[in-house]
Amino acid sequence: MNAHSHTDTPRHADRVGYALVSPYVVFFLLFVGYPLIFSFVLMFHRWNIVTPMEWIGLRNFERLLGDPLFYASITNTFIFLFVHIPLQLAAALGIAVLLNMNVRFRGFFRTLYFLPVVVSGVVVTILWQQLYAYDAGLLNRLMTALGAARIPWLVNPDIAMGSIAIMATWKNVGIYIVLFLAGLQNIPSELYESASLDGASPAARFFRITLPMLNPTVVVVLVLSTIGGFSLFIEPYVLTGGGPMQSTLSGVLYIYYQAFNFGHMGYAATLGFVLAVLVFAVVVLQRKSVETEGTV
Amino acid sequence: MCTFWKHVLRGTFSFLALSFVVLPGCREHSPDTAPVTDVVTLTYWPAPNPQEVAFADTIVRQWNRLHPRIQVRMQSIPVSVSTEEVLLAAIAGGTTPDICSNIWPGALHEYTRAGGLLRLDRFADFDSVARSRTPDPLLQTFRSPDGGFHQMPWKTNPVMMFYNRTLFEESGVELAPRTYSEYFAAAQKLTRDRNGDGIIDVWAGERDIRPIWWQRLFDVFPFTIAASGGRTLFEQGEPAFATPATEGVFAFFQRCYAEGYYPHTYFAGGDPFILEKKATQFSGPYLVATLQSLAPRLRFGVVPLPVPDDHTGPVHTYGDYKNIAIFTTTRYPAEAWEFVKFMVDARQDLLLLTVANQLPVRGDLLTNRMFAPYFEKNPMIRSFAEQVPYTRGVDAAPDLKELFDALSQEYESCAVYGRKTPSQAVLDAQERIRAIVDWNR
Repeated sequence: MNAHSHTDTPRHADRVGYALVSPYVVFFLLFVGYPLIFSFVLMFHRWNIVTPMEWIGLRNFERLLGDPLFYASITNTFIFLFVHIPLQLAAALGIAVLLNMNVRFRGFFRTLYFLPVVVSGVVVTILWQQLYAYDAGLLNRLMTALGAARIPWLVNPDIAMGSIAIMATWKNVGIYIVLFLAGLQNIPSELYESASLDGASPAARFFRITLPMLNPTVVVVLVLSTIGGFSLFIEPYVLTGGGPMQSTLSGVLYIYYQAFNFGHMGYAATLGFVLAVLVFAVVVLQRKSVETEGTV
Repeated sequence: MCTFWKHVLRGTFSFLALSFVVLPGCREHSPDTAPVTDVVTLTYWPAPNPQEVAFADTIVRQWNRLHPRIQVRMQSIPVSVSTEEVLLAAIAGGTTPDICSNIWPGALHEYTRAGGLLRLDRFADFDSVARSRTPDPLLQTFRSPDGGFHQMPWKTNPVMMFYNRTLFEESGVELAPRTYSEYFAAAQKLTRDRNGDGIIDVWAGERDIRPIWWQRLFDVFPFTIAASGGRTLFEQGEPAFATPATEGVFAFFQRCYAEGYYPHTYFAGGDPFILEKKATQFSGPYLVATLQSLAPRLRFGVVPLPVPDDHTGPVHTYGDYKNIAIFTTTRYPAEAWEFVKFMVDARQDLLLLTVANQLPVRGDLLTNRMFAPYFEKNPMIRSFAEQVPYTRGVDAAPDLKELFDALSQEYESCAVYGRKTPSQAVLDAQERIRAIVDWNR
């Protein structure tokens, strides 16, 4: 009897276990596994959703190699990252260091900097559209009032992506401030005390203690900003539609246009796959170059 | 909970049962239809705008009265983002009507690729019916790449140049420009700061500076057709528009922006032509009714599009065609063809003019005495009617939306921002379009 009940109990426990994980398994299969496999199949087909799929072998890849808009969208994404990541790192770290000091209303300021993160991306973008407008935008009115020339924030192909990067930094900086604050609070205060006793200046303490000790956080911020930068979509979609002269056409925006404007689901899946490989490669390179020994 | 679901299920079954009983009953007692066994019923989808629905309603009533054994049920195309999306979805789902009269030739390739349309030249009298109504050179432009005809040319909206007579007179421009040089000379006078505040108040013209693909159907494309004497973007299935004519068109618009005749911005808060902020506008006959209702005091004229200075012969343009097609899902192709023939008869064309103010694709539009009273009453529409024989449609190429998108981007680089020479931009546009076409083969 005993042996029988011993063998029964684990089986019952197994069943309960399977039942408990089944929602996640179903979710994973439906929303991750199936789309992944389906998009892999799509890469070798031409399909506009309504008519039957057509097998075209590697022609989506052939087209991608000769597509100037694909290269333009990747170049634009790198331009965005080039402006956005250093700006993001510097702003987040600078504000985090300030907020880590004994300043008045610290809690209020921490909340204030985090607010843009919780506001909808579309709402933030529409607000910035009003700021950036060439003829009647608040920024250009200010420039005119100061006697300076108006800046074509979004209508000049040379500076439009930079304008978007500034806006994206403002929107996302709060989350990275939180990460840096957590990193700063993990640095033992003894290190600063000892350095002070040895006569180290505030700048030396920042560069010799704070920055090296924050290396793991810097890597996390770098990786998250890069991945976030590669998925740039809402800002150019709402602000510029990818223009002027495709200067703000990001990789993801181009994928969206191919899929939902032109109905090229197979080609869009191919672009998505190549973009994912590119993100993976860039993140691996970043980790290799930034990570120091002991970084997790 | 259980009681709740029982109620829901019972309610659903009752509703379905009632539907099966009541709906067929409604059909049987419809006054327009004869007993089901003897009557063929066709479904016809017109465009969903009120004028065309009114026209369709009139002709369907006439047809049903004259043909008790072939009844037509009219239902406007379900409202969606575009007719093309609705029709493609219907083809995929096998729910297409028998006949539709809102077929844009630019989407024909998608429909035929999906096997949705019937070849109309399978009917023995197609040639005689089509040729008696539409001039042959124009008819040939509607031939599908497989050599057949899947559409009956029906109506057109030729793109022409509207000009504001008051602004022209104020600026001392006596005649509407016919050539590029005349246009630039007029533009120099028309573009001005009226109140002396240093800001331009009136522009010679204006185009949306964003590279929106369909905007090219109202500037680069009709101008190219006009400059080349009726040629479109493709020849024998291959993009072939990298010609001096297209380069001239790109150069024309580049100069309009470079000289400041067109603004590098887009107007918010209303149509600048209606607001008298621009002196010229390129559009179709539907703008006449819009202007007459929204700006009754605005004095305007209509002329053909400007052409290169050395141009000879008639001025061609783009006609925004909407044609008739029969779908392969029809169980009654012969009866559907009879209805199509009825639709393109001269009497129905007169109704198309009087009820919907739209121009049938007829060669005898200005010579047939049946239409004369209408044009006497509507002299402005007559100008458009004169253009009908010289209109061209879009090419029967796949992915036209993306092709025009590529053309738009090159136009933007060249004309709006001046970053490319016209010849480079046209060549790049052709290469990009060739790549899209090749991928589609």
